[in-house]
Amino acid sequence: MPLKRKQIVEALYNIAGKDHVVTDEQILKESSVDRFRRFEAYHGVYSLPMPAAVVYVKNTHDVAAVIKFANENRVNVVPRTGHSATEGGLETALENSIVLDGSGMNQILAIDTYNMQATVQCGASLQELDDRLREQGYTTGHSPQSKPLAQLGGLVATRSIGQFSTLYGGIEDMVVGLEAVFPDGGITRIKNVPRRAAGPDIRHVIIGNEGTLCFITEITVKIYKYFPENNQFLGYTLDNMKTGFEILREVMVNGYRPSVARLYDPEDGAYHFSHFAEDRCVLIFVAEGVKPIADATATAIEDIVDRHDECVKVDPKLIEKWFAHLNWDPANLAAEKVEIMETKNVCNTTEISANWGIINDIYEVCMQRVRNEIPDLTLLGGHSSHSYLNGTNLYFVYFYNVVDCKPEEELTKYHLAIKKIIVEETIKAGGSMCHHHGVGKHRTHWIQKEYGSSYYILKKLKSAFDPNNIMNMGTIIPLEK
Amino acid sequence: MNILVCFIAAPDLDKLIEEDWVIDKDLQIDTSFLKPTLNSYDESAIEIALRLSDASQKTKVSINHKALTIASTPATTILKTLNALRFKQVVRIDSQDDFRFRPGAIAYILSQYVLKHATQDVLFLGRQSTVGENAKTHLLVAERLGWPCITQVSGIEVIDENHLVVTSQVDDGQIRQKIQTPCVLCIGEVPNTFMRVPTIKDRMLYGKRPIEILSTTDFQLPDETEELLDLKVISHERHGIFIEGETPEQKARELYKMYLKERLEKI
Repeated sequence: MPLKRKQIVEALYNIAGKDHVVTDEQILKESSVDRFRRFEAYHGVYSLPMPAAVVYVKNTHDVAAVIKFANENRVNVVPRTGHSATEGGLETALENSIVLDGSGMNQILAIDTYNMQATVQCGASLQELDDRLREQGYTTGHSPQSKPLAQLGGLVATRSIGQFSTLYGGIEDMVVGLEAVFPDGGITRIKNVPRRAAGPDIRHVIIGNEGTLCFITEITVKIYKYFPENNQFLGYTLDNMKTGFEILREVMVNGYRPSVARLYDPEDGAYHFSHFAEDRCVLIFVAEGVKPIADATATAIEDIVDRHDECVKVDPKLIEKWFAHLNWDPANLAAEKVEIMETKNVCNTTEISANWGIINDIYEVCMQRVRNEIPDLTLLGGHSSHSYLNGTNLYFVYFYNVVDCKPEEELTKYHLAIKKIIVEETIKAGGSMCHHHGVGKHRTHWIQKEYGSSYYILKKLKSAFDPNNIMNMGTIIPLEK
Repeated sequence: MNILVCFIAAPDLDKLIEEDWVIDKDLQIDTSFLKPTLNSYDESAIEIALRLSDASQKTKVSINHKALTIASTPATTILKTLNALRFKQVVRIDSQDDFRFRPGAIAYILSQYVLKHATQDVLFLGRQSTVGENAKTHLLVAERLGWPCITQVSGIEVIDENHLVVTSQVDDGQIRQKIQTPCVLCIGEVPNTFMRVPTIKDRMLYGKRPIEILSTTDFQLPDETEELLDLKVISHERHGIFIEGETPEQKARELYKMYLKERLEKI
């Protein structure tokens, strides 16, 4: 017999204290969704099951007590920190879920510049951490567009990546150690060491679990020396994406590591760079680090690009200044809401990754199919923003006018229909359907195809660590009815 | 009814970071790396013109809307967007000159365009630009054309081929007036008039229609239009004091002791 809402709330009062348990109807509605359903939310439409309460936990022991209670009573728990997720991972799929909010656990616990690592609680703001580090000449190297909004717990839980990833890597390359609470209430710590070969790397059970296995309470990340004075910005316009992918590949396979390596197609590029690159692709690099490395990287990239006649160099200042406004803060979110409500013009994205050999094919087939099959598009473009030795990502960006449908039908008519095309074409070609936003609740239909025979491992992880199915049901693994 | 929307494509100053607000010896700021954008008044003017066109079936008054700007090449993207939004015609009067502080010269060119190139019934102008901020151009255009001008316009209805009902803001309220064309309307704050976004299909179908290009040299400016001689920065700085304290409570106590206690006791 499932617990009633009142019983759940009473229990949470006892565990976390009344002041830390919120049952306000509007807060519950807003906590039933994340940015995936923002169009509905802007219109005051909340169609998902309502959570019982939002619990703002103060420490790891509170987290453990709440999760243990939920586990014993089969109550679904949705872990969150910055509430900036974009793929529905924070949606409450079941009635009377507990939204476990770690944003109040926001302390920077240690900055160790000798051992080059920083330890924070899950709710620590990435912006605040990086600002503190930069004051001392260091950086996390992690700079996703959500940097002003996101908190470390969520970033680790979704396998986030930042704009400087080609040099610093994704969050999985930065995390040294962790503390997490598993469904039985057990608190687990993974110590902070440079490397180990003591069996599988269990950090990766936690990194990217999207709240489906455990709640991350503490994170230790590497820090890096920061030399912004040595940054070199390079920008080019070019005719087509295929050449751009080739250049990115040449840079990567020859061992150069610019912090930024981005390639925009003409549509996506027009949104950002129409003042200097009309109807052209745009290629951007930033070389950073100590001066000899930054200089050598920039020189080598220039040499590689120079071998491609169609590339035209642009004033580096155009690139440098553009970067200053790439991130999204609360003011951007507020402005976006006003604009969407006024124009009914909505932007969404889907990000995938693939090896060099197939990336351009995926780009072309997705662009063609979406353009032909989806109505009311006002922009359809894509860019590569994170490159690796063996391939790169593609970030499809699309805007559409919501026409002749209710707010709650917008996702089905547009965003999910586009996502379906991109995901299916990517998997068919042999790429990965998620590059850095996580699976959330709306790419779960394809999770078995994404994993293939290794899906067995994922299922075993879930059943081993969360046998009672109480952790963020419907995320990563589809909800079984 | 022929409606001409005159707009300016100005650098997007919101994208200028604090360290780039560097004023050179000529009191200019380098904005060459910024994307041109529309200010909110011009956006409203464009959207209102489009809505009047949308409503033409109902009003039975055919709307022939045209958009015009005096600008260099980077404004082309905006003009293409207006093409895609199905403005009947878009015009760029090519200029490499700095017109930011020359509303008289702009007014001269616009009025000459109307008198010599294309007769219009109504001119829409946004209240003021983000650069220059002269807020005079509409008045000077009306003066040159000898047409009435209504400022702070917030609503327009088409009545017939020769009449409009115009709502405008005044100091203590709103007024609605029925006016006869031709006239100049200066568009002020108009809620809910974000410019619509054209679809990709419309951009492909209509966005690449030719843009009529003229040059400022086609409009020989008379000597009496103004010439910029000097600019002075008005300092808006105010003195400030940082209140020191370990905690917000300590700071609040200090604020009370230093600034509020004496004033409160006098009440």
